[in-house]
This record gives sequence, structure tokens and C-alpha cells, in this order.
Amino acid sequence: MQGCARTPARQPLALRRLRRAGVTAFASALLFVPPTLAGEPAPFGARAGLDIAAVSALAWAPDARLVYIENDEALDGQGAAARWGYLFFSPHLDKARAYSVRDGKIAVADTLDMKLETPPLATDWIDSGVALAAAERVGRSFCRQHGGRLSTMFLMRGPFQDGDPDETTWTFVYASANAPSLFVVVDAAQGKVRRTSRG
Amino acid sequence: MRTGFLQRRWFHVLPGGGCAAVLILAALVLAGAAAPEPAPEGTEIKVERVPPVREKLSTLRFLRENRDFIRARLDRLREKPVGGDASAPAIDPRFLAYQGLLAEVRVAQDTVAAVEDARARQHLLESITELGDLEARLGWMERLVVEQRNRLMSLESDFTGDQRTTLMIVVSGYPSDAAVEELAITIADGDTLHVPLSAEQRESLKRGGILEAFHGFVEPREQVVQVTITGNSWPAGDSGFITLGPARDRLTFLKLDLSTIRPARGAASIRATTWLHEGESHSAGG
Repeated sequence: MQGCARTPARQPLALRRLRRAGVTAFASALLFVPPTLAGEPAPFGARAGLDIAAVSALAWAPDARLVYIENDEALDGQGAAARWGYLFFSPHLDKARAYSVRDGKIAVADTLDMKLETPPLATDWIDSGVALAAAERVGRSFCRQHGGRLSTMFLMRGPFQDGDPDETTWTFVYASANAPSLFVVVDAAQGKVRRTSRG
Repeated sequence: MRTGFLQRRWFHVLPGGGCAAVLILAALVLAGAAAPEPAPEGTEIKVERVPPVREKLSTLRFLRENRDFIRARLDRLREKPVGGDASAPAIDPRFLAYQGLLAEVRVAQDTVAAVEDARARQHLLESITELGDLEARLGWMERLVVEQRNRLMSLESDFTGDQRTTLMIVVSGYPSDAAVEELAITIADGDTLHVPLSAEQRESLKRGGILEAFHGFVEPREQVVQVTITGNSWPAGDSGFITLGPARDRLTFLKLDLSTIRPARGAASIRATTWLHEGESHSAGG
């Protein structure tokens, strides 16, 4: 799991350029590493895995609609994870089926044994990276104070936005061993923090 | 796994006792032996005796751990009236266009009906004028056909090709020493499809016929197909397991060759091969 992102102190221009050049050289070197040496699957934003999940869901049920997204592996500082879970609900079958996507493939397909009739997500939601940038403004101070970390982010419509339950929102869960978790709800259309709560 | 599209049909069905058909088939088989057809060879897949061990990965952990809490929040939303925006989303203009196209067709239909009434009142078709009317009427009908065709083309372009990952399982061959009465096929965690083999079908399989056991949409992911053989000589519940990864938006074939199976070796002695359809796959429902 990632810790909260840190904002570096402002440095002189020459030093910043030097650092940028070093980072560029390092990144270039990384680009030439053969993929077989990379090992771990590459992290990606939530939207990147939606296509294959949706195709699979339509094979399962033509009326399947996306109702929930959650990171299945640890998040990095850009809101990317190596595996994302997508939950679809079919009103016709009255069932929900989850697809976990890794490396552009379905790693897990599982029909949930729980009944979860949630409304479908809006289609114009912002990607996980953009949403995390908005949440970090609040989450960072929590992490500093309580030594917390971002454990989960999920996209849903309804339960966590009392004022406007029709709104699709990203919810971020910052966990700490020393304090109750912090929930940050970000509007998935505008990228604005709607509410925070502890629990 | 959807089974609504399940179909079973014979590619080659022999009429019972039809000597001519048998001869034709024999001739075709001989011709095939003389000049082999470039049929897709496919990739042979191992049929396992036990289900393959798969990596266990959890998904949607937070949702599962907090299911009661989330459901309670959802239930609360249902009980309390909310001031949400209940306005309907904009209707896709294409859908409105269908109605328009249908209305145009109906107008044309009405016109045709009116002309038909006029025709009923006129008893004579002798003059050049009446022949002209007939020609005009044919023109209207032609227009009707064209409009219907346009409407169908609109529907086809909008609704076909959205989801095309399909799997076709075919069965060929038949064992010489042990009768197979039924095959049961289970794809991933879906429903089990039972394929009873009638005497006629068995005879056809012996003579080179091919049976289509399944044709339907599948998820484009690696999954296990379980094949169970039923028959007097076969141990109860004897199954073979085939790991298959249907390619996305393609038609994948899986052929189960029964000619090599032996009761001693069980369902794992099925010879399974897979290949992709060369062209673009078509909707299995259509």
C-alpha cells in the first residue's frame, strides 16, 4: 500500500533541471529493460481495465451494468494498481459478477454470493489518478498526523453521498493503526472533495 | 455463462438406411483421402484427469468485508425519499430514428393498402392506364422493401458486433469398443450442457459426421471446460478437463475427437484440438 504522496520543497532552478535530467536518463534506461525482466504486472488506472471487463460481462449477461470498481492490489502514488476489480449487476439474472483485471486480461471471474442491487455508475467518471490527486489534499494531512496510508479506493453510486445519492463518487479509505480510518468522498464527475468522515 | 444461445445440430445427418447417402458419404470420404482438404489443423490441447489448480486471487476485498455496512447504506437510500435529479437521460437520436423509419414504412404501407382498396373496386385491368397504375403500385412496394431494408441495416449496424467472443464445441469420431450415451459439458462455472447421443447420431459420428454441441458467447478469459462421458462401459462421473482461452472478439473452435477414447483411460483420452475461425466471427444468436 502506498503512503500519502509528499510535496517536495521548492529547489533552485539549476538543481531542479539537473534532477530532471537524471530522472529522464533513469527513465530512459528503464525503457530498455526487457519486459521479461520486469516481472510484476504493470500498474494501470481503473479505466484502462474496464473494456475487457465490460466485454466479459456482456458475455455473461447482455443487460449487465457496471456498479462498482475497487483496487484489488496496492495503489501507487498515481492512483494505479496492478489489478482492479469490476462488479457488474444483471437485473435479468438478479446476480452480480466480479471481474478482476490484470495485465489486460481477466484474472478472476466470480459470481458474488451476496445480493447487491446498486444503481449503475455514471459513464463519465474521472480516472483513478485524477480522483486520487483531489483526495490527497485531504488525505495527506491525515497520513502525516496518524502515520496512515491509503488502503482502498472504490467507485460507487449512492451509499456514501448523502446529499446527492445519484452522484457517482470515488471513496478513498486512509487507514491508520493509531486512529479511525479516514474516508474521503470525491465527486467522480468534477473531481471535487464532497465530504470526509472518520470511522 | 449464458446457455440461452445453446444450439445443437448436425452438420451431416444420414437418413436411416439411406444407401445412396452412405455411398455418397463414402465417396466423399474417399475423395477426401485422395486429395486432403486444407482443413484447420488446430492446436492439440491436453485433457487432464483432474481439474487444473488455479491461482486463488481475491477480488473486491473491501466490498466483501463491509458488505453489511454498504447494504445498510443502500437500504437507507431506498427507504428515504431523496431530492435527486430524476430527469431521464437524453435518448440516443438513432433510437428515435428507428421510430421515424418505422413510421415512414407504415405510411408507405397505408398507401399500398389504399391502392389495394382502389384496385378491389376496379374490376377491369384492360386499359393502358390501369397497367400504369399497376406499375406505380409495384414501385410503391419496391420502395417499401427498400425502406424496410434500410431500417434493418440501421438496426444491424447498431446492434450487431457489440459482443462477439464465441465458442463452438464440436464432437467427432466414435469409439469402436465402448458406447457413449451422453456427453456432459460444463464451461467454467456455468450450467452443464447435456448432449445425449442417439443411435443415428452415433452412426453418423462413426462415419465421419460432426456434431455441434455448443455455440454461444463466452467470456474472453482462460477457463476450464469439463467433459463427462456417460455410458455402460464408462465409470460414473468420469471427466476430462480442458483449459481454454477463447480469443476476444473471435470465434474459437474446440473439437472433441471421441475416436481415441478408451474406458481404461477415461475421459482424459479424448483428443481435443482448438483453432480460431479465419474470418470475423458472427453473432451466435443470429
